[in-house]
This record gives sequence, C-alpha cells and structure tokens, in this order.
Amino acid sequence: MSAVTSVLTEEQSDLRDAVANLLAKRSPEAQVRRLMSEDTGHDPGLWAELGAMGLLGLIIPTEFGGAGAGATDLAVVAEQMGRVLMCGPYLSTAVLTPYLLLASGDTAECAEVLPRIAAGELIATVAFAETGSARPPVHPATTASADGDSWVLTGEKTFVLDAYTAERFYVTAQHSSGTAIFAVERSTPGLSIAPLTAVDQTRKIGQLTLSTTAARLIGRVGSGQSALETALDNAAVALIAEQAGGAMHAMQMATDYARVRHQFGRAIGSFQAIKHMCVDMLLEAQSAYSAARHVAAAFDAGEPDRVADLALAQAYCSDAFVFVAATNIQAHGGIGFTWEHPAHLYLRRARADAQIFGDPAWHRERYVRLKEENS
Amino acid sequence: MNDDDIRAEVRGWLAENYDPALDRAEWRRRVFEAGWTVPSWEPQWWGRGLTDTQSRIVAAEFAAVGAPGSGYDRADMMACTLHDLGTDEQKHRLIPPSIRGETRWCLLYSEPGAGSDLAGLRTRADRDGDDWIINGQKVWTSFAKTADYGLLVARTDWDVPKHKGISFFIFPMRQPGVEVRPIHQITGESEFNEVFITDARVPHANLVGEAGGGWGVLQLALAYERRLMGDLARTARSSRDLKPDADSLIGMARAAGVLADSSIRQEIARADAYAAVNRWNTQRAKTTTDRTEAATLMALGKIAMSRILHETARVQTGIVGSESMLTGAENPIGDAVTFRTLNAYFTSIGGGTDQIQRNIVGERILGLPKEPEPYRDSAFRDLPH
Repeated sequence: MSAVTSVLTEEQSDLRDAVANLLAKRSPEAQVRRLMSEDTGHDPGLWAELGAMGLLGLIIPTEFGGAGAGATDLAVVAEQMGRVLMCGPYLSTAVLTPYLLLASGDTAECAEVLPRIAAGELIATVAFAETGSARPPVHPATTASADGDSWVLTGEKTFVLDAYTAERFYVTAQHSSGTAIFAVERSTPGLSIAPLTAVDQTRKIGQLTLSTTAARLIGRVGSGQSALETALDNAAVALIAEQAGGAMHAMQMATDYARVRHQFGRAIGSFQAIKHMCVDMLLEAQSAYSAARHVAAAFDAGEPDRVADLALAQAYCSDAFVFVAATNIQAHGGIGFTWEHPAHLYLRRARADAQIFGDPAWHRERYVRLKEENS
Repeated sequence: MNDDDIRAEVRGWLAENYDPALDRAEWRRRVFEAGWTVPSWEPQWWGRGLTDTQSRIVAAEFAAVGAPGSGYDRADMMACTLHDLGTDEQKHRLIPPSIRGETRWCLLYSEPGAGSDLAGLRTRADRDGDDWIINGQKVWTSFAKTADYGLLVARTDWDVPKHKGISFFIFPMRQPGVEVRPIHQITGESEFNEVFITDARVPHANLVGEAGGGWGVLQLALAYERRLMGDLARTARSSRDLKPDADSLIGMARAAGVLADSSIRQEIARADAYAAVNRWNTQRAKTTTDRTEAATLMALGKIAMSRILHETARVQTGIVGSESMLTGAENPIGDAVTFRTLNAYFTSIGGGTDQIQRNIVGERILGLPKEPEPYRDSAFRDLPH
C-alpha cells in the first residue's frame, strides 16, 4: 500500500483559495451559460487572468517559462474549475498539450510552444480519437506520409477538445514505421474543422478532417503512441480532480436545497428518503475527492502502482460524478427538471467527463489487466 | 517528557521486568503498580498522567513484546466510564480489579424491543431499600457467560420522556435470576448472547451518576466504545473480513477459471475500487489537519465498509458460481463465500444499522434537520409499542 500523503501544503491551500476566489468572480453561472451558447466557449478575459496567476504554465517546467508544479498542485486547481464548470481550453491547452510535448522528447517544440502557452499567447489541443472511441486507436486510420522533408496527413479526428478555438493541433497519425505526433496549424490548407453538437456545452469538442494536410513531425516516428498514453494519464489527474470538484458541488447543492425546501410542513432533508440520498452523495463525492488527491500524490511520488490506481480512480470518479449529478436532479424534484436550474449542467458535464478520456468500463479493464500482469 | 522519552522508558521497564514465564496475576500486579495499566490517567487514579498519544505508545510497546496488561485506559469501558463519572468509592472498589484483569464486564444495552431506538428500552429497575430490583431482557451481549459485571441501562422512571427515565448500573452478573443463552447467528456462529434478568439485584452503590441520568452516562460509555472500535479497526490483524485483499478477487477468478470473463473483470474492478477509495478516504482522514474533514470521512467509514463487504461477497459469489450453493468442510470455497455474504450483515447491522448511520451523518455532518419527534415530551408509559 502506498505511503504517499495527500495533505496540502500551505502554498497549495493558498493556491486553492486564490483559484476559488478568481472563479467566483469570473466564472459565475451566468458567465458559464453565456459561454455555453457560443461555439468557442472561451473567455479571453478569464484566460488572461489565469495566465497572470501563473495557472496556464502551472505544470510547464520552469525552463520553458512555467511554474514547474506537480500533479497535486494541478489537482487542487482542477477541483476548483470542476466545481464551477469553468469553460475554456484549460484541459487541452494548459494540461494535455504540455504533457504531450514533454513526453514526446521534442525539446525544440517545447522551447517554442510551452512559453507561449504559459503566457496565454497560444491555444493548442491534441487530436487523437477517431470515430467510435474516445480512447486513442492502437493504429490510427489517419495516415502520415513523407513528402520530401515535410509530411502530409490524411484522415479524420473526432472528440477533439476545443477544436474550434485551437490555433495549433497535435495530431496522431500512422506511418508504415509507427505512430507519430504531428503539428498542424489551424490555417493549413486541407484542414477543415467542425464543432460537434455536444451534450455538455461547457466543454467544447469538434472534428478535424485532414486531406493531404501539411504537417510537422514532433519527436520521432514510433514513439507517438507511448507519448500520448503518458500525456493522457498525466492529464487524467486533472480530469478526475475536476470530476471530484463537480461532484462535491452537486452534493452541496442537493444538501443546501434539502435544508431550505419545505413540503408537508417540514424541510425535505428531514425525510429519510432525501437524507439518505444526500449521505450517499456525500460518500461518493468524498470518495472521488480522496481518489483524485491520492492519484495526484502517487504521480508526484512516482509510485509504481500509480497507473493501476489511476485506472480504478478514473472509473470511480466518472461513476461517482454521474451518480451525484443525477441524484442531485432527483433531490431537487420539479425545479431540477428545468433548463434554468443548473443541476442538469452538472449531469451533462459528468456524462461527457465519463467518456472523454475513455469510459469507466475501459478503465476497469485496464486496472484488471495491469494487476494480472503484476501477479 | 516527550514521546521518545516515554518510549525509551517503557521499553527499558519491559526489558527489566517482563518475563513470559511470570505468573499472570503477579505480572498484572506489577504493571498496575508501575502505572502502565492506564498510563493516560492521573497518578491519583493509578495512571501516569501521560497524553493520549503517549498512552498508545505504551500499549504498542507492550504489544511489541507480547506483554499483556496495558491499554486499559482505552479498552476497559467499565473502568473508563467509572473513571469519568463514578464516585470515589466506586472507583476504589471497582476499577483496580477490572484493570488488573481480575474481573470482567459485558454490555447490557440493546433489547429485543430497543435496537435502533435504544432509548425505548423497557428493562425495569425498581428501588428496594439499598438495592434496585431488575427485570427485563437484554440482547447482543458478548462475553456474558464470563462476565462479573454488566454495564446495564434500565428504566427507573416511567412518567418522564424516554431519555430522562433511564439509569446506568454496574450490575453483578453472577447471581440467581440472570440467565444467559447464546444467540445462533445466520453464519452458524455464536458470538453473542441473550441475557434474561428476573428479580435480580444491584446495590444502589453501583448506580453511576444520578437516577434518571443514565442516558448521559451511556453516551460517554458509547463514545469510549466507538474509540475502541476505531483503535481495533486501525490495528486489525485478522484482515480476512475487514480488509479484503486487493488482489484476492483476481486470484480467486483465476483459480476458478473465469478471469477471462469480461463481466467478471468489470465486477472485480468495481469491488476493488470500493476498497481502494475507502483506504484513500482513511488516509486523507489521518493526514488532514481539518477536523471537520476528518470527522466527515470517519463517519462515512462504516457505510463504506458495509458496501465493500457486501459487494465483495457478491462478486465472489459470481466468481464461484454454482459452488456457492454448497457449504461444509468439503466445499471450502463455497463455504467461505456464503460465510462472507452472511457475515457482511455483522457490519451493516451491528453497532447501529447503515440506515441509522445515514441519519447520523445526514444530521451531524450535513446539518440536515431531524425527523419530528411527536412523543418528545410525552411520558414513556404513554408511548405506543
């Protein structure tokens, strides 16, 4: 059993409070709803403030202009973002892209791109999924072929985070000698970008069609798949922390409502039917929170079991957030069934979060496979 | 003295004094004389005035060399309750034999008609000169056959609301009118007993606190019991039922030849996740400096443990399949799976049902309002039953 500790340092507590304060001001429900209605779902004002606080470069190493923070710091920030359903390309640009470039070993690309991300000057994303699964395919159907010193890509990518706002895409594609990552600029001829009609409008996703589109190779051919897997695992630390934060908030909404809503002359929270629902939500939300913190600490400590722990935690946090968000609607009764009430926004986010980096069943299977190999 | 000094001192004392060959009573007397029996109590009351943490260190050092005799300030519910709320006379008379291991106690709280609603108890105590006469039935009593005393709650006033008419006694078990019958549990085991009490006597000198003040005394005794349960959960060694080994389901499925079954694999991961998040919750509760956070996580622990045990047993049933119909020594795997399935209720009912625990968490942790109590101000004798 792991001996890593999940207790926050004073700096981490301060970081949490600072992010909470910023988001209370800059990402209230009205603002979330405004961004939901737009294709980009991106608030440049908020983005600038995140940059000024050093949050865009949070996990970027100091040599590339970032803060060089660890997984626990990232989890602390992501929890707060999840609580308020913050809109914007944080997960794609400030988390997944940096982790991918760092894992690719392409120092030149890191030196060129990461300082710009940290400074809030570049929105970038990673395009890895193809039709049918949100996990990366073992062999992408998107192909890469050499064209002299340069490369061209052909194929389709889907479930691409923030496709509509990104200025640069890191695309996985198959070459005869292996999988690789390629950079594609937004304006490149032969690239078409379309938004997907998504259930969760607080997190934008889109589709790319590449038709002999010029691209630059990142890292080397053959290492793309493992770099992507590493990046997805590191980024999942933020995703599960967002899920935990969202679950905590939805649980709190239900509990607060159960204290004030009166029927039959009593607060509905005095009825065991509602009280027990609230306690079940509390158990799931707290467990998700502990799981997210534990996994972050395990990644910081480089624990040997961290990926198996992540697999369990990612399945658990996905199910927990969906359960809490759904039960919150039920606890609210009629008002929870209205579009104007925010309860459904959390269920929408929860359902999308439970798919975006692979569904719970995929992560459970991964856990068993890892445990089998070790026993 | 700091913790390290204490550790060094007790270690030195044990090295000098402990001899496993020593007569048990003689050894207990030495421990008692040295103040190691109840180290956190005041020197005036047989202790050494140590902190709670230091007292645990002492107990751990005793355990490390296999020496009995320490830790009674956490494990002896009768002594702890009397230490806090007994009269000086009661303390001098009843505590030393108990913490030297010369007398034993049991708990006489629950009744067939008073389980979740313990304050609805109907065992009666009627004053008769210097004694009280006890009549009633108690249930779920461990060690009733070997106990010298029972911590007894009984009704002494039927004309006041239910919580206000209860008194707390140290009841002598070895007397006519006390009949102990083992309870045959659904697992086939018998850990608990029923205790039938007919015209038995307890001296007035053994009343703890005031007549009618028993509910308050009981709350203190229950708090000590919860603390002990927490200690035991932390140091549990026989982990078979409390902490299912994370790999055991995979091992069991492999042995049963069903590890390739994708639905079984999903179930295994689901059950393992319940156990894993519970470990992570416990770890967070231990490391956090936020008391509310720690209290929240600890309060959820019982509900979480019930789910782990029930779900693990359910997945094991799916793994062994038809063998779960069989029991007995010739079917050890089926037998174990059924035992775990049935024994899971030990946790989800014992010590307060999961449903009562959800009420407690909902009210104390989430601040949800209590159910209205229509009989709150009624005399107990007017309650329907």
